[in-house]
Amino acid sequence: MNILETMRSALWSLQSNKLRSFLSMLGIIIGVAAVVGIVSVGLGAQSSVLDMVSALGSNLIMISPASTVARGGSVSGDAVDLFTVDLANHMQETVHNMSLVVPQVQGSGLLIYEGANLRATLVGTTPSYPEVTNYHVQTGRFLHELDVENATPVVILGSRIAENLFGQANPIGRELTYVVGDRRHSLTIIGVMESKGQVLMGNYDSQVYVPISYAMERILRTQTVSTLMAQAISAEAASTAVGDAEFLLYSRLGTTDGFNVTSQDEMLETMGDVAFTLQLMLAAIGGISLVVGGIGVMNIMLVSVSERTREIGTRKALGAKRRDLLMQFIVESLALSTSGGAIGMILGVLIAKAVSDFGGWATSIEGPALAIAFTFSALVGLVAGVYPAMQAAKLDPVLALSHE
Amino acid sequence: MNVMIEATKLTKVYQMGDEQVHALRGVSFAVQKKDFIAIMGPSGSGKSTMLHIIGCLDRPTAGELFIEGLNVQEAGGNKLAEIRNQKIGFVFQNFNLMAKATAVENVELPLIYAGIRKRERRQRALAALERVGLSDRIKHRPPELSGGQRQRVAIARAMVTEPAFILADEPTGALDTTTSGQILDLFAELNDEGNTVILITHDPTVAQRTHRIIELLDGRITRDSSRNGVGA
Repeated sequence: MNILETMRSALWSLQSNKLRSFLSMLGIIIGVAAVVGIVSVGLGAQSSVLDMVSALGSNLIMISPASTVARGGSVSGDAVDLFTVDLANHMQETVHNMSLVVPQVQGSGLLIYEGANLRATLVGTTPSYPEVTNYHVQTGRFLHELDVENATPVVILGSRIAENLFGQANPIGRELTYVVGDRRHSLTIIGVMESKGQVLMGNYDSQVYVPISYAMERILRTQTVSTLMAQAISAEAASTAVGDAEFLLYSRLGTTDGFNVTSQDEMLETMGDVAFTLQLMLAAIGGISLVVGGIGVMNIMLVSVSERTREIGTRKALGAKRRDLLMQFIVESLALSTSGGAIGMILGVLIAKAVSDFGGWATSIEGPALAIAFTFSALVGLVAGVYPAMQAAKLDPVLALSHE
Repeated sequence: MNVMIEATKLTKVYQMGDEQVHALRGVSFAVQKKDFIAIMGPSGSGKSTMLHIIGCLDRPTAGELFIEGLNVQEAGGNKLAEIRNQKIGFVFQNFNLMAKATAVENVELPLIYAGIRKRERRQRALAALERVGLSDRIKHRPPELSGGQRQRVAIARAMVTEPAFILADEPTGALDTTTSGQILDLFAELNDEGNTVILITHDPTVAQRTHRIIELLDGRITRDSSRNGVGA
């Protein structure tokens, strides 16, 4: 009996028992759909996270104080105190692998323009900010060196802020009020940024940008900055630049604790690792349901063998060899699981599409993921089929024929 | 070759717990080509064991069995399956048809195991169904057929491989008298056409229709007669 005949007879046998075939497939269907759906959503999430990291800028290095716990009599915050505009300037002058070092402070407050008000994140920074973040003004201008020197009360709006407060009207030259606590600051709008969308650490479009001097002295009243953003002179120089910055901070602090220096590549790597681990975990959960599905198939195959004992005896009397019966039941099991796998794949793709259409999540359906899920379902069918098939093949024809 | 089956001192012993059951105690006989034989006996006489052994579903404990000169004793599992497929046409009391397959698909089944191509298979199956008078029932499934028709499908299935002999186990056991008569007529016709037919039965009226009766009791042949006097 050749393989084609075996397949034909297996499909025929499954067709003649549609409901049962479907029910025993269900586990595999759910398993494969889960794996495909999860992996697609996971890959989509991963690539959008990675996009967000890339959107931060080019060859970017983030330098920030780490939160430390004070021990004994020492005062926590030594590292925080170190982060000043002077440090940024010093770093830019001494670390040759860095072309730009941009300090940044952040605060939160309320923007008021005529009747409307809006909560916005305020970013105090320097004129090099657009270059480092690869984020530029759409209309008007960004900060100028003089704005920082003189601490002029000017502001550049994120695109969404501009749209929410002014709609289509040109906001340049107008005055708005920024309220932090009980202090009110009148700021002149000098520019509107281009739209950048969601990036890793918040949405640039809903921020406003002011001279760092004005932000520190007048609005936030602080001596320290929250982050330094540096740009390495090239992608190759990034890791050396990280080392240089670390050495500089270490020489000031006398410890390697208390600060983080992270290059964009490292962020990408970390995010990639996290996403991969998460995905592996989710896929493993899907895989467990596949295994459970496999047990279901095996169970049905065992039932089928014992139910069809007489049929097996008859087939043997008519000349079926052990191999024929072995093949028959393995192919039946394979047909069950791969049909389940195919349906599951379609279902998984539909789930992924639904998630991206209705949930607004990015999903990415990839061939290899489909192929792996399908192959795994076939493998499950094979493993689940072998034992029942062996039971069928080794049945004694005399006993099988007299089976009631 | 005119000797289809040659059995010499066939012995079958079953181990039932501590007890040994002697189902066959040295049975010898020969079956000629074109014989029409009934193997008779009450239950427990060893006729089922006889069916299993000459049907190559089981091996004797001792003794020798040749089918068309082939030594069954020396055959392995796959060889036995091949012998069953090519030399023996089984007909069962309960028909043992595949309930979800059509008549013609049922008849094709042994040809599938023989590795015959689909087109030839279909032709031969249709011819066999025509021979048993079921040309108008080829697409029917067993539940849509009467008992007699089902047994005709089974007979078509048994003869489609052109076996050395047809081996029928109580072929009329599940049929009424009229239908039984028709089935036995069919066996007689097939025998007239040159087929070797062996019926296993406990029913003397069935046995009467054959040309030779081998009676079994307690695992031994008590009578081996030919109705026309040509006993072996």
